[in-house]
Amino acid sequence: MTRAAAGGAALLLLCGFLAGSLHAPVAAASSDRQVAFSDSERALIRAQGPWPVATGPDSSNRFSGRPDAIALGETLFDSPALSIGRDRSCASCHDAARGFADGLPRGIGIARVDRNTPALFNMRLVRWFGWDGRSDSLWAQSIHPILDARELALTPETLRARIAGEAALAGAYARATGGAAETQDAETVLVNVAKILAAYQETIVSGRTAFDGFRDAAVAGDAAAMAAYPPAAQRGLKLFLGRGQCVLCHFGPNFTNAEFHDIGLPHFADRGRVDPGRYGGVKSLRASRYNLLGPFNDDASRATAGFTRHVRLIPRLWGEFRVPSLRNLTATAPYMHDGSKATLEDAVRHYSEIDEDRLHQDGEKLLKPLKLSDAEIADLVAFLRTL
Amino acid sequence: MRTTIAAARAALLALPAALLLALPVALALALPVALAPSPVAAAEPCPAHDFGDGTTTLSKDGATVIYRTVPAEIAVGQPFSVEAVACRDDKTAATAIRLDAGMPAHGHGMNYAPSERKLGPGHSAFDGLVFHMPGRWQMTFDVYEGERRTRLDHAVTVGR
Repeated sequence: MTRAAAGGAALLLLCGFLAGSLHAPVAAASSDRQVAFSDSERALIRAQGPWPVATGPDSSNRFSGRPDAIALGETLFDSPALSIGRDRSCASCHDAARGFADGLPRGIGIARVDRNTPALFNMRLVRWFGWDGRSDSLWAQSIHPILDARELALTPETLRARIAGEAALAGAYARATGGAAETQDAETVLVNVAKILAAYQETIVSGRTAFDGFRDAAVAGDAAAMAAYPPAAQRGLKLFLGRGQCVLCHFGPNFTNAEFHDIGLPHFADRGRVDPGRYGGVKSLRASRYNLLGPFNDDASRATAGFTRHVRLIPRLWGEFRVPSLRNLTATAPYMHDGSKATLEDAVRHYSEIDEDRLHQDGEKLLKPLKLSDAEIADLVAFLRTL
Repeated sequence: MRTTIAAARAALLALPAALLLALPVALALALPVALAPSPVAAAEPCPAHDFGDGTTTLSKDGATVIYRTVPAEIAVGQPFSVEAVACRDDKTAATAIRLDAGMPAHGHGMNYAPSERKLGPGHSAFDGLVFHMPGRWQMTFDVYEGERRTRLDHAVTVGR
């Protein structure tokens, strides 16, 4: 698996919206090789691609897309110099061999953190970063693990000393930024390092999948090519679009609407300690001087700050978490923001048997137990495995 | 609190009887002044507008909203703006327009609060709207003429 085009993302899947009145699917699961899809379903299939999505550099980050910064970012990503004990790196938790995650329910740096380690694929398509969306850019998000006492636990001053103190890093940093770390203030070095790390992470893009081939064939009307897609996956796709209404949240080429929802999981990070989810994320975002409205955004027009400018802080955000991409999710178990679902089957069963009592009173009105049969669960999982 | 009430009662009882009789009369005279609407500027005429193609017109209870979205086609999860003109049947401009939207089947509004740019009397643009799920959404315009509000809804389906 290469970092530029390989597998594995998605940790929580938001599925289980009971079929509503939005369209009338035809022909239920079929034992035939080809499953029939309605015009409405075909429109939704079209919207789940094409893949890959063309993206440009992030204008909030002057290092985005620059080869020298990308190379330095990869070095920094793997460097133990970025941890207080010189014994960990970003790659310790975001392991390429594990889909840029760690395979654990909750990440463990110096100490265990509250949430599952997110995979790092297709970051240019992400709007909010972290399970609570506390950051509005990849570079701002990259600051958190560097400073978090449970993760890499550096201070800005220590980070500057580490960069300045290693000749190779200091030289590459000076070439990329045009200034020596030792002469810059510590916050400048922190933000530059975060932006350089982001420039590298943006290059981690997942490749095309069996679903992408099916989607393109469906758009082209190529029945023969569509037939090459496994029947179980086709039946699972039909559930995904129809009765499951998974597509309402896992919408678009990256299989996420990039927003936040409450799916009835426990709200506790630990015994007696609540995880506020998106509510806390918006509060952190607004309080951060590293948000896109702040002084470190390289986009002078602030056109990149539109979502940040308009985002709401409202009570229903309590217990909401980011809808992850479903692409290449087979590499990134366990699932959900708290890593509480060990397998894809477990994740699907969550929506099949969802406990409505756990949802907000003003929560997701469409979220009802799907009551899927074992065969339907198997079909949905077969579909998810093709992403 | 009890001390304050007692003190007030004592002060009232200490007033001359004639003044006590005069008090309700004075209040009766003053009340209509207090409740009368504050002076309002003369109504502005309904603004001229030419949104071209893609215009939607909504009318209800003497209020009309004409609006367009920018871009014309709303994409799921992507920000868009709404430019709106709101008038009364008497060809005067609304004094204020408010806009919000929600997804009735989902029971949620938007995750983003639109910001308003006033373009003139009865003419505003709203930025930062995002419909983050495919399906049927409902735009809600509140058209004000002073304190009077008229609510106009319009269903919009995206992503299907």
